[in-house]
Amino acid sequence: MKTLTIILTDGPYISEYADMACKIASEALKISQVNIFLYLDAVHIPKAGQKPALFADMGQQFQDLAERGAVVRACVRCASARGYPADEAGICPDYHQGIKISSLYDLAEMLKASDKVIALSR
Amino acid sequence: MRSVFYLLDVAPYGSEKAYGVLNAAAVSIKMDVTLGLYADGAYLALSGQDSKSLAMPNLSDIIYAYPEVRILAHDPSLIERGLMSQSLVERVELADEDIFMEQILAADCFIIL
Repeated sequence: MKTLTIILTDGPYISEYADMACKIASEALKISQVNIFLYLDAVHIPKAGQKPALFADMGQQFQDLAERGAVVRACVRCASARGYPADEAGICPDYHQGIKISSLYDLAEMLKASDKVIALSR
Repeated sequence: MRSVFYLLDVAPYGSEKAYGVLNAAAVSIKMDVTLGLYADGAYLALSGQDSKSLAMPNLSDIIYAYPEVRILAHDPSLIERGLMSQSLVERVELADEDIFMEQILAADCFIIL
């Protein structure tokens, strides 16, 4: 099976990249393994309890992707800097389920294992 | 993927972008990794950086710390910004337009953060 890795750096609503990534990942999951790495401000995306009035709840959408098998990881340095603590297993109480905080080295491992990489970043 | 080309096209200080790209490049050294400095990213090539008053890491220190990361500065970007007379970090290689684009195309993976 082919592997797609998507890298995001924007927060959930400052651009449509999170939404685009969801749509790309959703299609890709039908035929591929999908990894998503949340870097820089993208670590805000999985925050639970978002209630955007005009947009889809990106955190919930990323949880849905994780439940369908996507591996979604957030950079620990970026998450820590923005107030998202994680336990030793990478579980963050502020995050939606299925999305873990991990080392940036996971990004390198994702890249090595990938057949295609898409970076959505401004 | 066996090789990755990261592109930095924004100034090294004033946002987290350059720091983020450098860190991503640093963890990618099990692959052939190149960091291309393009447009305002070319300012990262300058030697003598001092970021103490910015409360940010000195990003040229990261360049020195990871010799496995090839640093390529886009020659035209340096010229357009009047930086060719400035001294550059020794590890930085200059690349004209053609070579710079060739290196992007040669990499398995191209990432702009």
